[in-house]
Amino acid sequence: MMTTATDAGTIDATADQDPVALAADDITVHFGGLTALSGVSLEVRRGNIVGLVGPNGAGKSTLLAVLSGLLSPDAGKVLLRGDDVTDVSARHRATRGLARTFQQPELFMGLTVREHLVLAYRARVVPHRMWRDMLDPRALFRTSPGEVEKVDGLLELLHLTHVAKAPVAALPLGVIRLVEVGRALASQPRVLLLDEPLSGLDLHGSENLISVFREIVDRSDDGLALVIVEHDVAAVLALSDMVVVLDFGERIAVGTPDKVRSDAAVRAAYLGDVEPPQRTATGQTAAPAVPGSRPEVGGA
Amino acid sequence: MLQFVIAGLVLGGIYAIASAGLVITYTSSGILNFAFGAMAFFIARFYYYLHTQESWSILAAAAVAILIAAPALGIVLYAVLFRYLKLSSPLTKVVATIGLSVALPALATIIFGTGAIQQAPGLAPEPVKVFHFIGVPVTLDQIIVYASVVVIVVAGALVLKYSDVGLKVRAMVDSTAMTDLSGTNPTAISIGVWAVSTFLAGLTGVLAAPIIGLDPINFTLLIAASFAAVIAAKLRNLPVAVGVGLLMGVATSLIQRYLPPASAWTTEIIDAVPFIVITIVLVYNLVRRGRVGETEAWGGALDRAITPQGESKLAASTSTVVETASLNFFGRYAGPLVLVALAVALPLVLGGYWVGLTAQAFAFGVIFLSWTLVTGEGGMLWLCQITFAGVGALTTSQFAGHLGWPVLASVAVGGFVALGLGALIGFLSIRLGDLYVALVTLTFGLLIENLVFTLPRFVNQGLGLTLNRPSFASSDISYSYLCLVAFVIVSLFIVNLRRSTTGLALNAARWSQAGARTSGISVVQMKVLAGATAAFIAGIGGGLLAVAQTTVSPSSFATFAGIVWFAALVTIGIRSTAAALVAALAFVMLPAISQAYLPTWTGNLLPVIFGLGAISAAKYPDGVLAEQSRRLRHLLQRVAPDALADEHFAEEVEAGVVDTEAVGMAPEVAGQLS
Repeated sequence: MMTTATDAGTIDATADQDPVALAADDITVHFGGLTALSGVSLEVRRGNIVGLVGPNGAGKSTLLAVLSGLLSPDAGKVLLRGDDVTDVSARHRATRGLARTFQQPELFMGLTVREHLVLAYRARVVPHRMWRDMLDPRALFRTSPGEVEKVDGLLELLHLTHVAKAPVAALPLGVIRLVEVGRALASQPRVLLLDEPLSGLDLHGSENLISVFREIVDRSDDGLALVIVEHDVAAVLALSDMVVVLDFGERIAVGTPDKVRSDAAVRAAYLGDVEPPQRTATGQTAAPAVPGSRPEVGGA
Repeated sequence: MLQFVIAGLVLGGIYAIASAGLVITYTSSGILNFAFGAMAFFIARFYYYLHTQESWSILAAAAVAILIAAPALGIVLYAVLFRYLKLSSPLTKVVATIGLSVALPALATIIFGTGAIQQAPGLAPEPVKVFHFIGVPVTLDQIIVYASVVVIVVAGALVLKYSDVGLKVRAMVDSTAMTDLSGTNPTAISIGVWAVSTFLAGLTGVLAAPIIGLDPINFTLLIAASFAAVIAAKLRNLPVAVGVGLLMGVATSLIQRYLPPASAWTTEIIDAVPFIVITIVLVYNLVRRGRVGETEAWGGALDRAITPQGESKLAASTSTVVETASLNFFGRYAGPLVLVALAVALPLVLGGYWVGLTAQAFAFGVIFLSWTLVTGEGGMLWLCQITFAGVGALTTSQFAGHLGWPVLASVAVGGFVALGLGALIGFLSIRLGDLYVALVTLTFGLLIENLVFTLPRFVNQGLGLTLNRPSFASSDISYSYLCLVAFVIVSLFIVNLRRSTTGLALNAARWSQAGARTSGISVVQMKVLAGATAAFIAGIGGGLLAVAQTTVSPSSFATFAGIVWFAALVTIGIRSTAAALVAALAFVMLPAISQAYLPTWTGNLLPVIFGLGAISAAKYPDGVLAEQSRRLRHLLQRVAPDALADEHFAEEVEAGVVDTEAVGMAPEVAGQLS
């Protein structure tokens, strides 16, 4: 059920209709004597946004690494649109439509913003150009209408048009986060894993990006699914269709945001089971001043 | 047999001490010290100077050379060089030590006198006493080696495991930044580590001198052999390094027993033992799909957080990328165009002998471009480009000379043979990490030099092989232009590659492996592509050079000479094609000028200059040419602010979307832009 890129510059999406975009089944990861993940399962349905939350050290980033293929689990399976990709490399998962961003941005400092998007697009849609272009003196000028449309559209969507030609090395962190999202989206993913995409952004930037996430999922013809790990629990709960909560490497809750919000185990993990999070005037979740509480999430 | 084992333990002991020195330095400073052999030679030469030339007693000479001068050399090198490399990428560190390995032997020759010395005394008084151990004769020099190994291994283990100093060293290995924050002075520990490391280098040198003579090339070979033990120890495991070092010595000795002593192959196989060990270890790692990931293996999270992103600062630094983006067409290309114009004029202006040299210089330029691609663009350190050039030259001679092929077609075949070898080496080593690439390419160069370049077919009784130039370019002037055209074509290819999808993907693989892989780009494939293409370019350059010289002598493609080539290129600039041309002209013309017009001793000064130039790459990664061009541009920008500036970029700076300060762009450039 693998989907393929065509020479015309589009992704053939008709081949698979599995309702589950991405699934992790009973994933266990050990680092030496430490169990980072213990039998964690996760299901991301097409067109859904799944929030992944949990206190520091809960195993969120480890799970993202396993899902994206950067880390092999000691046990368990990863399924991408029904295909078992547990033993498939990160690169080949990317060519099958799995994209991600990183908590510590992993950009290519020698490239401009536009080049990031162009490269990601070509790696997915016309991968042979990575080999052939070096022998083609016209390589510099060869772009397809599909590429221009896709890249320009994303630059506009993410408000990056004015910095398109700037080398990313010269850009502030907030913009760099947007470039990472842009690069991931340019590869026309079926599933996008976002590791703390809002950190480093101001409130306005965060709100914009959240609306972009909702928009790209809603506009996707191919049922794009998102998995988001984020510090800002309020934002995750507001954005997600489903929420998975991890604590000490185990899944302690899963369900709709409302269900998770009222889950006793979650309240215990985050708040020491004392009182619910307070909303501030800005809409952010404030940490209650409770001894022993663990208000901060993310950064696992 | 016992006799061979005991004899083998001498060479093995020297390998073991050298390996221990290399592993200790790497684990405690993150620096894989390619200059260990040069340091060993320098101290051994100083010992010889004191003991033999100045007639000091063994005890006094050894005490001053090994116990005082060697640690002092380490402390001085730390103070003037290594402390500035703390936050540099592993490759920048390696290049600095390569520069040192070029500069130190030449410096020793200038200070202590000329030439390789075949017979050098050890630490035992002469005539050296011989003892008998269960019927096997053992010299006092051999006993000193055994004792040194035992003392170093036992003392090293005890100090590291049980002493307060050992605890601090181990803490620093885990995280220099955290050690610093915990109130321990990492500088003091680093000074101590470097003093110990150069002490071990000095001891290795003095112990090895009676066996291998006082020849810098033999010392480089010895240390390259010790790298086999270091690779087997995955750069960090001291007991394994010492054990493999000892075993290699014993294996070498046993081979001597079982192979026919008169055969030329026996000598070659003996020389090849360490390289066979490296090959076995690499294949084993490849089969297990092991990866050491040396960049991740060194230092703690905080150390990594404060280390600049990207694998190699030798490849474009972020400030260079931004500054280049700030320039318009004239600002970017005026310099290279002027340089090409000068190169075109050169054969016309110069006469006779010097025109022949320009042809060689342009051919060298093509070889240097292979590093512009593989190191400047690919961020990898390949130390066997001279071997690929030699393969190109020898293949050209075989096809043109023996098979009667047209000479330029033969040059092309040489390029393709080099390409195949480059792809193989890349495939074997790139997966293991960048430091392994440097080690493996160095080893490959030495292996080919010892096993292939010595074949009677190529050596031709020391006469080499002759080649004829193509009929349309038989004169020095016409052949110079032929080589210049080849240089320009390869330069344009590299410029095109940079901005093509291939170049973008290669850039991605260099700056962020995780980012590249999760974008669907194969890091290994892109790097193998760069390495193989660079090998092809080096092969073509080697063929052109051979045709320029009209003879091919395999001895002119020795691996150590290639390291001097590399140092010359890094000094001028590893990233720009224009710098490759300037470096080639400097490399060919300066020795000739020195030979023709200057005192003889200035000949030894050039390696020192190139060595120091490579060392300075740690501070000026773009090289002398880029640095001077930058200064010239800044001057021009003061006179005519808009002459070189890219309008679009200036708008971005003005709008505040580009943070020039954050990437260390020169204030005058940023000021002119805004």
